[in-house]
Amino acid sequence: MSVHLLDRELDRLEGLWSDGLSETYRSYLDAVDHFDPELRAKLALAAALIESGIRLQGVGGRAAPPTTLLMGDLCLARGSRLLADNAPLPVQVAFARAIEATSAAAAAEQAPPALRQLLRKSLTATL
Amino acid sequence: MSHRLEFATAHATEFVDITDRVREEVRRAGLRNGRVHLQSLHTTLGLAVNENEPLLLRDFEGLLDRIAPAGAAYEHDDFARRFDVPIDEPANGHAHCRQLLLSAFATLMVEDGELVLGRWQSLFAVELDGPRHRQLALQLDGEFARGIEKESLQALVELELARQLMVDPEPVASPMRRLVEAGGKRLRPRLVQLTAGIGPHNDALRAAELAAAVELLHNATLIHDDYVDESTHRRGRPTVAAAEGPERAIAVGDYYFAKATRLIAQIGNPGVTSALAEALEAVCASQIDDVAMRGSYPGDRDSYMQVIRGKTASLFAAACESGALLSGATPQVVEALRRFGELLGTAFQMADDMVDFSPSSGKPVGLDIRQRVLSLPLIYAAEDRVVGPEVRRLLAGSLGDAEVGRVAELVISSEALPRVRQEAQGLVDAAVRELEAVELDGLQPVLVGLARSAVDRNS
Repeated sequence: MSVHLLDRELDRLEGLWSDGLSETYRSYLDAVDHFDPELRAKLALAAALIESGIRLQGVGGRAAPPTTLLMGDLCLARGSRLLADNAPLPVQVAFARAIEATSAAAAAEQAPPALRQLLRKSLTATL
Repeated sequence: MSHRLEFATAHATEFVDITDRVREEVRRAGLRNGRVHLQSLHTTLGLAVNENEPLLLRDFEGLLDRIAPAGAAYEHDDFARRFDVPIDEPANGHAHCRQLLLSAFATLMVEDGELVLGRWQSLFAVELDGPRHRQLALQLDGEFARGIEKESLQALVELELARQLMVDPEPVASPMRRLVEAGGKRLRPRLVQLTAGIGPHNDALRAAELAAAVELLHNATLIHDDYVDESTHRRGRPTVAAAEGPERAIAVGDYYFAKATRLIAQIGNPGVTSALAEALEAVCASQIDDVAMRGSYPGDRDSYMQVIRGKTASLFAAACESGALLSGATPQVVEALRRFGELLGTAFQMADDMVDFSPSSGKPVGLDIRQRVLSLPLIYAAEDRVVGPEVRRLLAGSLGDAEVGRVAELVISSEALPRVRQEAQGLVDAAVRELEAVELDGLQPVLVGLARSAVDRNS
């Protein structure tokens, strides 16, 4: 899977890529095997961005400082855009529901669900 | 949509051309594509589609008279053999028999807002026992373009917002409900609803769903913005971050970001989903630029334009684009509306900047200065030959009440505000020109009015 394909998608996030996003991305590659080859990198990156965005923001823990929050927002937005452009509708819906579940738990000061597990499961969502 | 069409006839037998009356009903109802059903509510009034040519109409009257002559003997007119005959019962057996030859019903198709009729076809109500006062029942069904008034459209969005918040967990729903109920201009959902009425697939309920999702998305970004800007109040109420802490504010913002994107995706139009996803990404990227620029506050016009194109104009553009896409508008119309939204959003942000210097706005004057929020009047004042040096000196230091007040005074005394107003109005003019190049089926005046009012305000 060529990372060059993703260059455009990493604009402004280069620092994050070398700071753990690349590893998170690789951890999703085996969960996108069932998609068309040209979609796999984008969908793995979408999942990695959403996981990283939530973690950067400190959801479920201490609030991130403003500039970090905004970086987290950009991760979420880019991840969602990648899903909008490349993922089937059930996958888009499952990802959104995973974020909803995680943030609702945080707002209620309850233990959040296991995020990576939720997102990996979202990649297999069907109608 | 049901209605009664009433008219009076003047003769015993009369062909009343009701084509224009029905056309008017279609126009008033805003029926774009569908059917008009008509039904006679009388047993001696028929309906017919034929040519409105006076001699031909006399031929029809002659034909009816030959088949069922008025002077012939009809058992129906033998009142002695009938029960419960009203005292004013006319001898009209011939009229009933003639009606049997016509129809009591008619259905006409409507395409692109027009009755589908051949060149020589007219619709007649055929009086067979006049003169009388007559009624036709009329129903219209199909796709309506402008059958719903502005107030109803707004009510639909409010209902949809309330419906969505009702099913959400209280820890996230409660803060969002406070923000939604505090008001707001609802410009983005209004743009979605208006543009969703332009194409052939006008569906007010789907448009309201999309409009409410766009408003939730906008509010989600505001909740995070307020934390970043350390704002204590929005729409006259404490911000979520101020009232419930940053942790809750971040979680609520994320929840509604995700929920809004899900609602948008579930509408099932990939173009709409992509347009709004791109806009949201632009908003987030510009927020980063906005904060970064505060190091060189107040910045310059080019940087300002770059930030507000992403931060404000992109969602206005996507609101217009997505509504038009939802309605199935042509690519030319979609693109014109996207550009309209982008120009309007830019102008709107400039007008919003001016509100910070208006004592009648209801907001504390100089709030943007205190929070070092990007502002075009401030940029222009800082460039001003007369007041610029003092503005720059004050902004370079710490900003207490006295400094903020003085900066506001300097901005108001300079040419900055008229310059920004003129620029905003120029952008609205350009936005309006985008609408002139395409066919908007009568919606242009509404959009123009909305655009003008969005920048002509002080609150």
